[in-house]
Amino acid sequence: MSLVHCACGQGPYNKGKELDRQGLMSDDSTTTTHFGFDTVDEADKAGKVQGVFSSVASKYDIMNDVMSAGIHRLWKDAMMDWLAPRPGQKLLDVAGGTGDISFRFLKRAGYGHATVLDLTEPMLVEGRKRAEAEQMADQLDWVVGDAMALPFDDNTFDTYTISFGIRNVTRPQEALNEAFRVLRPGGRLMVLEFSQLPNDGMQKLYDLYSFNVIPRMGKLIAGDSESYQYLVESIRRFPDQETFLGMVRQAGFENAKYRNLSMGIACLHSGWKI
Amino acid sequence: MTDQTPAFDRRMIEALVCPVTQHRLDYDAARQELVSKPAGLAFPIRNGIPVMLVDEARKLDD
Repeated sequence: MSLVHCACGQGPYNKGKELDRQGLMSDDSTTTTHFGFDTVDEADKAGKVQGVFSSVASKYDIMNDVMSAGIHRLWKDAMMDWLAPRPGQKLLDVAGGTGDISFRFLKRAGYGHATVLDLTEPMLVEGRKRAEAEQMADQLDWVVGDAMALPFDDNTFDTYTISFGIRNVTRPQEALNEAFRVLRPGGRLMVLEFSQLPNDGMQKLYDLYSFNVIPRMGKLIAGDSESYQYLVESIRRFPDQETFLGMVRQAGFENAKYRNLSMGIACLHSGWKI
Repeated sequence: MTDQTPAFDRRMIEALVCPVTQHRLDYDAARQELVSKPAGLAFPIRNGIPVMLVDEARKLDD
């Protein structure tokens, strides 16, 4: 996913919006997780995320361009610059949705193979319709799957990418552990995700933009403000750069590092399976 | 299969394993399913795309 409105940080900001909009409030006795600012049963999150992306799939690309003024493209290019794909490499592109990252990877590599995995079938169907998907059809596989239970053998891929997807995973640490498992020794993880701005003033500006403008634009363009409201809230919930770096290391990755993009609106994390 | 619905690529059977047990899968062409006997699950193939989610799988006992 690639929406460029950041409500970076997990500060005290908490909208007093009505919970249980869709009847999914949980009681205290079950394990819960975040769905935007709502607290939901862990078991329900995947279904809700599927709902969001099924809802926005057909308008997803255009929404990203409009909301980010095209900046999400620069971030994805920055991701490829750091990743430096090489000919013949095998990529697993998790939360790969409409194929954006896989197409870039294959173009840079010259030739290779990309498996696009997403929780949401309509996103993959959209991706497969794109012109690049037809041109590179023999280098692409499309799979619906769960980042926390990947349907692949150990030591399978040279590269694992997840772009604006990991914050939607119910338990991001498990996704990182799975990434480590399916990568070959010498393989590399690269995560692109919204992150946190370094100072409060800038963050307030982003809050204003993201909480007020984005859901309205979502309504205008995709006819769906709630899905975009979720996206904005989920960004605000996600761990900051250093916290996430610790999670990458905990999964087993070595030489783990990060680079801020646009001052920290987004961030790239890299790690190696040695 | 129509032009709009690409057929399932059989090469993918080699690449995929059961997300639960990580065992290999059997392809049931008639039902368009990938079957994991150890897990007792059959994963559907829809629009040529394998759906490797436990929640979407058919239980083999049923």
